[in-house]
Formats: sequence, structure tokens, C-alpha cells
Amino acid sequence: MPSPVLTADALSKWTTSNPYKAAFIYVGAPSDAGWTHAHEVGRLAVQAAFGGRVQTMYKENVPEGPQAAQVVTQLINQGANIIFATSFGYQDTLVAAAKAHPNVLFEQATGTEQLPNLAEYYGAGENGDYLSGMAAGAATKNGKIGFVAPYPIPEVIREIDAFTMGARSMNPNATVRVVWTNTWFDPAKERQAAESLVAAGVDVLGDGQDSPTTGQVAAAAGLKWTGYDSNQESFAPAAWLTATTYNWGPYYINDIAAAMNGTWKTHFYYGGLNDGFVIMAPFGQSVSAATQAAILAKEAEIKAGTFDPFTGPITKQDGSIGVPAGTTLPVYTPTGLSKYSINWFVQGVIGNPAG
Amino acid sequence: MISIERSLDTPRWQRVALPFVSLILAAIISGLVLAASGHDPIATYRQIYAASFTSPGALTSTFVYATPLLFTGLCVAVAFRMRVWNIGGEGQLYMGAIGASGAGLLLGGLPQPLLIPVMIVAGVLAGALWAMIPGLLRAYLQTNEILVSLMLNYVAGLVMYFLIYDSQSFWRDLTSPTALVFPTGKTLSASATWPGVVIGSFTLPTGFLVGVGVAVLLFVLVRGTRFGFEMRVMGDSTSAATYAGMRTRRIILAVMALSGGIAGLGGASQIGDFGHVLDPRGLQQAQYGYTGIVVAALALYNPLAVIVVSILIGALTNAGFALQGPSFPAGLVGTMEGIILFSVLGGEMLGRYRIRIGSPLRVAPADAEADPGR
Repeated sequence: MPSPVLTADALSKWTTSNPYKAAFIYVGAPSDAGWTHAHEVGRLAVQAAFGGRVQTMYKENVPEGPQAAQVVTQLINQGANIIFATSFGYQDTLVAAAKAHPNVLFEQATGTEQLPNLAEYYGAGENGDYLSGMAAGAATKNGKIGFVAPYPIPEVIREIDAFTMGARSMNPNATVRVVWTNTWFDPAKERQAAESLVAAGVDVLGDGQDSPTTGQVAAAAGLKWTGYDSNQESFAPAAWLTATTYNWGPYYINDIAAAMNGTWKTHFYYGGLNDGFVIMAPFGQSVSAATQAAILAKEAEIKAGTFDPFTGPITKQDGSIGVPAGTTLPVYTPTGLSKYSINWFVQGVIGNPAG
Repeated sequence: MISIERSLDTPRWQRVALPFVSLILAAIISGLVLAASGHDPIATYRQIYAASFTSPGALTSTFVYATPLLFTGLCVAVAFRMRVWNIGGEGQLYMGAIGASGAGLLLGGLPQPLLIPVMIVAGVLAGALWAMIPGLLRAYLQTNEILVSLMLNYVAGLVMYFLIYDSQSFWRDLTSPTALVFPTGKTLSASATWPGVVIGSFTLPTGFLVGVGVAVLLFVLVRGTRFGFEMRVMGDSTSAATYAGMRTRRIILAVMALSGGIAGLGGASQIGDFGHVLDPRGLQQAQYGYTGIVVAALALYNPLAVIVVSILIGALTNAGFALQGPSFPAGLVGTMEGIILFSVLGGEMLGRYRIRIGSPLRVAPADAEADPGR
């Protein structure tokens, strides 16, 4: 973790008796062992880094709807100086709140809207998913991989696309069968979806859910599994291959320090493997040395900027060209195709990108 | 031998006082739980009161939570009183939201005074029609409406998902940059926004006013009309109603449509008062329909009491978000809600029944069990 650099002014202004207040809005519970847990680890890193100069608070299980506006109001009433909303569904609420409260700073994870006091942050999870996909492609014996996916939205679709391209780089005949759960976090639905994939004959499972349930199903069926969000190896060590994990702490520390110094400016942060925002979880025991070497080599290329999974030629599910040779999809553009608006599956995915 | 039998001589003052005694008891038990988990009970209650009513914006927030609960509570109260077990308020609310947002989008050009009633009618119709499915099946095929109405909640949820995520439907926004990144519904026009009643810094949602009107109408309907009399007879005993020559099928269908229509009105209010967009995730995460069952039970299925209880539960939910944090787990708020429910329902039962030690002398009337709200 980086130690925050505070100016003399900030050090005299923000003290234990007058702490800077940073608030986090969670869509799930910090105990989900996935997405929200990763943010909670980030919040605790903030608290540890700043000590009493920063007071952190959070609200969990906040629905993504009109109620979120009330929670934002409460946090502002409680004196929040900066509010991090950690799910896309809070974006409309945050845009309205940012306009109504110009003196409060807002940050929205995975969104697109920017205002002078509203910033966006996320990272290239898809690059990690490409590497997870390589591990899955090397592990499958019958070439059939299953993927438990939350919502049919571009964020998830690009992760499945990258995962599939990674798998097929190791096993050109591999297929990835997708089942949608229509929820970020619901262990019961995640279990059903994973079990339906096992019944369909897959021998490796991947997931983009907030809980490690898919891994428990894989372990029970004697299959392999790639996780998501956090290092979830302890939930199913025998099945574990690797996972894309998010390291939110350094980002939060950096932004809160900037806010305390008065140097915070709106931005669209998109971290990656290169700056340590995306980190591959440790490999499981069954990942062979050769596979590990191949994955680490690809990871080094991504970090060096010489490889991007979304560089053409990329063939769509239906055989047509999705990205022409020589073109790399931009992260986000308001119009035209970007990683943030991709709504089709690549060749090798079995499933419907419309849900 | 310990047996529980119906108490035949409960004085009226006791029935009125019981819920309040139960609430005080709940506060004491919750206080013990709070103290045991290292929180000062008095300070916590003060905080709850402030977060619910007195801090800036708190009262407005409380009514944001209370408004949908008023509708789903009334939906359950009217049905359960008549022993029609409609668990489908959740799905009927979704359908109401679909209907009202559809009407609001289609007729967005109409002036506000015209558009709001149109959205209300669309929401009521959609909710009522959805409730007619379990109603018709119960009336004509004697299926269990608990199961059918419950299952239809999931179907209604999937219909919403289909409209926003899985199709190019009329409800879905297909043009804005945000909608390309994450599927969302079309936002309704300004004239489809329900204004509410603004009193200083407090906004009373239009939907809440409408809901209060519905509650009063229901109270009058049940107490003062022939139809209400028939419903009450059927609520007491279906066979008695049949012997008296009442058309029980028609009454079941009417109750189901009424109940579903009220939930649908709640869906319309979600669109008009708060969301202004059909939002499947937000509506599903909120679970207003299921919480409505709790609201109705706490109100002892009395429509007027539902008004009060919806504000109380709305306040508690609102305060729950204010209280929770690193030192106050969200589960503790749920525990307190559970203690209140347990105390009020337990108190109600102790008030209506008595425990006899020894052999039972009198057999309780056959319809005494599972008989809400008399």
C-alpha cells in the first residue's frame, strides 16, 4: 500500500478532532467474499493509511434505485466529504447528488458520467479475465467450459469475451457456455446456474459473480474453477485455478489524499495489471508450470502494453468480423463501439448476449 | 397438559392497548440486545428518532420508504382479511410499474393533471389483471393462490428484465450513451413526474396521499357497504357465505383484483413519485411486496392502521441505513425489526387466546385458527 502524501495545510486542517470523512456505498455486504469484500479491503486500507485523520463509513446492501438517493443524503448529513458509490446502478443518483451538492466530491465505480465534482473509476478486469481464461482453457479436458454470469451488460460481456479468447488461445476448440443469473449477489441463484452448467457437461467453471458459490459447486463435482473479484482460493482449494482480483485500496488512498490536499480533479480512471489495480490471484496447485509460464508471459505483454485482448481481428459468435485487423477497441467513447459498449459475444461462446 | 384456547371475553380497551404494550416490550427487548452488543440503547433510540424524523431531509426519506409499503400493506390487508392469501403484491407492483411507465411514456405529451390519473389507472389495471391469474385459478379450479401468486412474482420480475435487458422494447432506452454501457429504461417526461406536496423542506409524495385515500375508502367499503358485508362473511367462513347464497367466486375475484390493483398503484407511484424510469434491479432489490406482508400483519389487517405502520416501518428502514456502519452491523437493524414483529404478533395472540393448564374443557371454534384481524 502506498503511504499518502499530505501537504502541510492538509495535515493541519484534517486532524483526529476534525477528520476528513470518506463514505462508501455498497451494493452487497462486505462479507460477500467477492466484489463488496474487495471494496471493504480498500476502505480498511484507507483507514490504516490515514489513521485518525480520515473517518471512513459505509452503507451496505443499498438498493440501486430511488432509495440510494436517501442514503446519499444521509451520508452528506453525517458530514461525508467524499462519497464512493461502488456499483453502476447508483450513477443517476450520483449525477443528481453531485449537481445538488457542489461542495461534496463523488466517485462512481464502473460508470461513464463526469462532472466537476463527479469522477469515474474502474479497471481492465477483462485483461485479467483473458489470463483466467488461459488457465481454464489449459485445464479443460473435453473443451467445454461454463461461465456463471450476472447481467447481460457490456461490462460482463467483454469479460466473457476476453475469458473465451484466453481459453481458445490455449485450446482452439474450447467453448464457453454462459448462464445468466440476473443478480450480482445471490448464492442460491449462482448455485442453480453453476449446477445447470455441470449438468450440461462442462469440466471447468468460471464466474463473474460476487460470491464464491460457483467454486463450491465445481469442487463438489470435482471440476476446476476460476474465481472473480477477490482471492477466493480458500473456498474451494481443490478446484481453484486463479482469478481476476481488484485492488481498490491504493486508488482510494491516492484520491482521498488528493481531496484532502485540495488537488482533487475529476477524472476517468481505468486501472489495469500495469499499475497494480488488477492483480491475478495466486495459481492453484493443479495449474502446470508450463501453463503458469504461458500466463505470466502474456501478463508481461499486457503490462508492457504490447498486447490487448480486444485487438482485431476478432470474430463474432455468428462468424462475422467484430473488430477488424489492426484495430484496438477504445475503453469508452460516447458513440461507436468501445469496450464499454460491446454487446456481442466472440466465436466460441455458447449463449445469448441479450440474456 | 397445556392447551391454548380462544379467550371469549377480551375487553375492548385491552385490544386497543395491546399493540402499544407490545411495542414497549419490543423496545425493552431490543434495548437488551443493543446493550449486549455494546451499544447504548437510549442513544441508539435517539439516533433512530433523529434519522427517521428530525434530521435534515429525514422525514422526506421516511416517506420515500413508507409510500410503497402503504400500498403493499393495503394489498395484503384487504386480501388476508377475506382469507384470500395473495402473496403476489411484489409481482403486482412490478406490473403496475410496467403499466404506469408504459402509459407515461406513450402519452408523455399530455398535461400533468391528465397524465397522472392516466398513469394511476394504467398501474391499477396492470396490477389487477396480474392478480386475476391466481384469482381465476382459485375461483374456478381451486388451486392454491399462495403458490400461484408467489410464483407469479418471479414471472413478473422476469418480464421486467425482458423489457429492459433482453429485448428492444418500448420501455428500453436504446439511444443514450449511458444506456449503451448499461441497459436502462427510458426516462419519463417532466409532465409524468408526480409533484408531491412541498411543505418547507419536506415533500409528501403524491402517492402517499393517494394511498391514504385508498385506505379510507377500503375502511368504508368493508364496514359500510353490502359488498363489504359479503366480504366479511366470507372472511369468517366460506361455507357460511355459500349457504347464505353469496357468490363466493365473484367475491374472490373482486378481492383479488382490488388487492392486486392497490399493489399496481404502488408500482405506478414508484414510477411517478420516485424512479421516473422502469428499473428492474431497483424494484427487485427493494422487496416492497414482501415487506408489505409484515406491514399488514403489524397493522392487524386494519386499513387505517396500515397507514401508521407503513410510516413506522418506513422510518425504521430509513434509520437503519443511517445507523449501520463499521460499528453497527446491518443485521442488528433487521434483528430489531424482527423483535418488533414478534412482540406485536405474540401480544396479539396472547390477547385473543388464553393458555390453560390442565385438560381442555372447551374446544375452540373450528375457524379460530389462522384467522387474521377480527
